[in-house]
Amino acid sequence: MTEFLSTLPGGLVTGAVYALLAMGLVLIYKATRIPNFAYGGMATFVAFFHYDIVNGRTYGFHFNALFVHANWHPTIHLSFWAAVPVSLALAAALGWVVERFVIRPFARMSTVTLTVVTLGLGLLLSAITQQLFGANDLIVSNKNAIFSRTPAFAIGGVNVSYERAGVIGIVAAFALLTYAFFRYTSTGLAIRASATDPDVASLLGVSSKRLAVVSWVGGSMAAGIAGIALASLVVSSNPNLLSLLSFKGFAAAIVGGLVSFPIAAFAGFAIGIGEELARHYLVGHNASLWQGAPEVLTLGAVIVTLAARPKWIFRGLRDDEDSGLLSRVGATDSRLARAIDPVEAYRAFRAAVPTAGVFGRFGKVVRYGVPGVLLLFTLVFPMLPLPSFWTLPANFALIYLLIVLSFVVVVGWLGQISVAQGAFVAVGGAGVAICANNLNLPFPLPLIGGVLLSIPVSILIGLPALRLRGLHLAVATLAFGLAAERAILPRFNASNRVALPDSLNTDGARYYLILVLTAFAVLIAWRISKSRVGRSFYAIRDSETVATAYGIRPVRVKLTGFVVSGAISALAGGLLAYQLGGVNSQYGSVFFSITWLTYAVVAGIGSLGGPVIAALLFGLYPELTKGAVNATSISFIPEIVAAALLLVIMMINPGGLASMSRFIRSRASAHEDAATDETGASLALAAADADEAAA
Amino acid sequence: MTDVALSIQDVQLAFGGVRALDGVTYDVPAGQIVGIIGPNGAGKTTLFDTISGFRKPDRGSIILSTPNGPVDLVREQPWRRTALGVGRTFQNARLFRSLSLRDILRTVQHDSMKHSGLLRSVLGTRGARADEAMVSRNADEALELVGLARHADKPAQELSTGMLRLCELAAVISVKPKLLLLDEPSSGIAQAETEALAPLLRRVAEHLGATMLLIEHDMPMIMNLSDTIVAMAAGKVVTYGAPADVRNHPEVLTSYLGQSV
Repeated sequence: MTEFLSTLPGGLVTGAVYALLAMGLVLIYKATRIPNFAYGGMATFVAFFHYDIVNGRTYGFHFNALFVHANWHPTIHLSFWAAVPVSLALAAALGWVVERFVIRPFARMSTVTLTVVTLGLGLLLSAITQQLFGANDLIVSNKNAIFSRTPAFAIGGVNVSYERAGVIGIVAAFALLTYAFFRYTSTGLAIRASATDPDVASLLGVSSKRLAVVSWVGGSMAAGIAGIALASLVVSSNPNLLSLLSFKGFAAAIVGGLVSFPIAAFAGFAIGIGEELARHYLVGHNASLWQGAPEVLTLGAVIVTLAARPKWIFRGLRDDEDSGLLSRVGATDSRLARAIDPVEAYRAFRAAVPTAGVFGRFGKVVRYGVPGVLLLFTLVFPMLPLPSFWTLPANFALIYLLIVLSFVVVVGWLGQISVAQGAFVAVGGAGVAICANNLNLPFPLPLIGGVLLSIPVSILIGLPALRLRGLHLAVATLAFGLAAERAILPRFNASNRVALPDSLNTDGARYYLILVLTAFAVLIAWRISKSRVGRSFYAIRDSETVATAYGIRPVRVKLTGFVVSGAISALAGGLLAYQLGGVNSQYGSVFFSITWLTYAVVAGIGSLGGPVIAALLFGLYPELTKGAVNATSISFIPEIVAAALLLVIMMINPGGLASMSRFIRSRASAHEDAATDETGASLALAAADADEAAA
Repeated sequence: MTDVALSIQDVQLAFGGVRALDGVTYDVPAGQIVGIIGPNGAGKTTLFDTISGFRKPDRGSIILSTPNGPVDLVREQPWRRTALGVGRTFQNARLFRSLSLRDILRTVQHDSMKHSGLLRSVLGTRGARADEAMVSRNADEALELVGLARHADKPAQELSTGMLRLCELAAVISVKPKLLLLDEPSSGIAQAETEALAPLLRRVAEHLGATMLLIEHDMPMIMNLSDTIVAMAAGKVVTYGAPADVRNHPEVLTSYLGQSV
C-alpha cells in the first residue's frame, strides 16, 4: 500500500498538467470547433520565453539605414513571479495573433485540413522557439522552479514537494475558474450555446468571432501556464519533448470528445497516474524489458477507447465524411504534376518534341538525348568530380523520397490521415538491427526482415484505424507513433551498429543501393496507382459509402494501403540504418513524422511528383547547406520557411506545389462555367439515341 | 403470378423513438419499373438503405432472387451487393469526385476484375492486363450510352449535378445489376430535361433486363415511367398498383398529393 501511495504524488501532478492542457484544448474546441494540434508548440514557446527572461538575457536590436544607426541592447532579468505576468501577456498575444492571422482564414475548412494546418503551425512555433531561444536543453534549476522543490508535507511517509502540491493547486484553481466562467458569465453561456448549435447561436446575436478570440486567448494562457509548470516539473526539457508531452493532453481531450471538461480532466489524470504506475511497477523492476511501457499502456488505452467509439466522444463533433483537403489533392492531371512525375514527364516530353519535318532529326536528338543525359547524371553522379559533401545529401534525399512516398500512399491516395509513418521508419531500422546483430543474417536479409516486420505492425495500427476517420484517426496514429517511438528507439544505442558488407560500405556504393531500391519502390507505387488496387484507394478516399455500394471492401482496401505505405517507410528506415550505421533516435520520432507530413503536403501529397519535389526541396537542399556550411551553427530557418510555406499554400491551394498549375488554371476558368448547358446537350443526345434505338 | 425479384417482408427500423420503417412488406415483380412515392420522412431512402445494407433493420427480411437461389440481404455485408446483382444510386449524386469519369467507371467495376490482386496488378500479368482492357472498354461503352463520351477525361468535381446523375447511371449500368435502385434520379436536373430522362431510364432497364426501383418526387415523370407505383407514408406501404389507380387512392390523396389533385 505504501508502495502504491508513493507513486501517487508523481502521477497526480503529471496528470494535473495533462488535465490542464486538455481543458485548454476543450475550451478552444467548444467555442470554435477547431482541433488545435499546435497547442504543444504554443505551450513550448511561452515556457521557453518565460525561463529565458527568468535566467536573464540581453536582446540585441540593430537598425541600420543610410545615415541612421541605432543599437538597443535591453537586458531583461526578472524573478520567476515577476516574469509570470509578462509571459502570460505574451501567451495572450500569441493566442490572438494565431487566431486572427492563421486560424480565421481556415475556420470553415474541413477537419482534416485544420489538422494539417495546426500540426504545421505547431512545427512553426517549435522551430521559432529553437531559433530564438537556442536548441540547447532547457534546464530549470532549483532556484527558478515554479515552487520550492523541498518537501511540504508527507502522505503515508511519502514526501510531497511544494512544487508538486502547488501545480496541482494551480490546475484546481484553473478548473474552478473555468467552471465559474461557463456557469456565471454571459460569454461562457454564449460559448455553451454556440457549442450546441453554432448557426442558431449566431442567429441569436452571438458573435462567433468574439468567442473565437476569447477562447484562443484563454486557451493560449492555459497552454502557457501548463508549459511553464511542465518545464519546471521535468527539470530538463527541449521544445520537442514539451510538444510531445502536450500531445498527451490532446489524447486526454479527445477521450472527452473535445467538449467535456470533466471527462477530459479525468482522462488527463488517468494518463498521468497510469504512466506513473507503469513506471514504478514495470520499468522500476526491469528497465530494459519494459522500455516505453508507460506510453504504450496509457496511449494504447486511448486508442482502444477511441476505437470502441463510445457515444460521448462522437457527440460534439462536426461530421464531414468528405475528406476535404485530400479529395482535392488527389487528382493528378495537372500539367506541373505531370511534368514532375517522372513517367508522365517523359510522356509529355515525347509528345511535345516534333519528330517529323525539318526539325525531325533535331527532335529525335532532343527526345532521347535530354532524358538520357538526366538518367546518365543520376547514374554516374557519385563518380563525378563534385565536392565530397554531395554524395551524403543525395543518399538522404532518396531516403526522404521514400518516406514522402509512403505518406502519398496512405494520406494522398487512401485518404487516411496518418501521423505514424515515422514509427515505421523506426520499425524498419529496428528490424535491420535485430536481423543483423541478434540473428546474424547476411546482408540483403536484414533489409527484407525490416520490411516484413512492418507488416504485422501495420495491421496492428490498421485495425483501430478501420473504425476511425479524420481527427480521431490523426490522434490515434499520433498516439501510436508516440508509443512506438518510446518503446522502440531507446532500445538501440550507439553500440548496436549495422554495416553493409565492405564492398558496399562507401557513400558511393550506398548511393547505388539506395537509388535502385528507391526506383523500385516508386515503380511499384506507380503500378499500384494505375491499377484496380490504386483506384480502390481513391474510391475509399472520396466516399466510403459509394465505394461500398460498388462492392469495394473498406476493411481490405484500408489494410492493404496501410501495409504498402508501412513497408515503404520500413524500407526507408532500413536504408537509413545502413546509411547511419545504426538506429538513430532522431529519425522515426513523432516529430519526424509530423515534419515530413508537412513537407509532403507542401510538395503535393496526391501524386508521385510530390515525393520528388519534397526530396529535392526539403531533403537535398538543407542537407547540402548543412554539409557546405560548418556544421556547428544550427539554423532552423529551413524548418521555419517550410512550415510558414505550408500555411500559405494551404490558404491559397490545398493541392500543394505539385498541383499549382491546375489551381491557376481553375482560377482563370472559374467564370466560364458552362456545365449546366452541357448537361442539357448530353441529355438531349442520350434521348435522341434512345429514340433511335426504340425505332 | 409473375416472378418476384425482391421480397420485402415486415421490415422494421426505429431511430430512437421514431419508426422510420414500420412493417414494410412488398414483393417487387421481376422485370418491372416500380416507382416509390411518399412525402418527406415516409421512409423511402431508409428502405433503400436497408436494401443496400447501409442500415440493418431491427426486424424482417429482404429476400433477393438470384440465379443461385434466394438470398436474405439483411444477413449480407453491404459490399456483397454488387456481386449479388444489386446496384444503387444516391440522392445527391455522390460519386468519387476527384476522379475522371472514365476512372470512376473503371473503379466501379472493381468486382469484375478477377485477375487483378495487388501482386498481379503490380507485375502486370496477362490476366490483369485483360481485366484492365475489359473495364476500359465497358467504361467507354457506358459513357457512350448516356452521352458523356466526350467528357470522359474530366474530373467529376468539374461537372454539373445533371452530368453527375448521368455518370452515376453509366456507373450502375457498367456493373450490370439485375436489380437497380435509383434515389431521385431527376433531382438536380432542370425541369425541361427530366422529360428526356424517362425514356433514357426505360432504355437502361431494357438494356440490362433489370428490375428497377426508383424514388422520385417528379409526379408526371414517375407516373409516366413506372409499371407499378408504391405509395409510402410514415414508414408504411399505404397502397400499390397501377399508376392510375394509386393516383386516385383516397389515402394517397390526403397524405401526399393533397386534396387539390
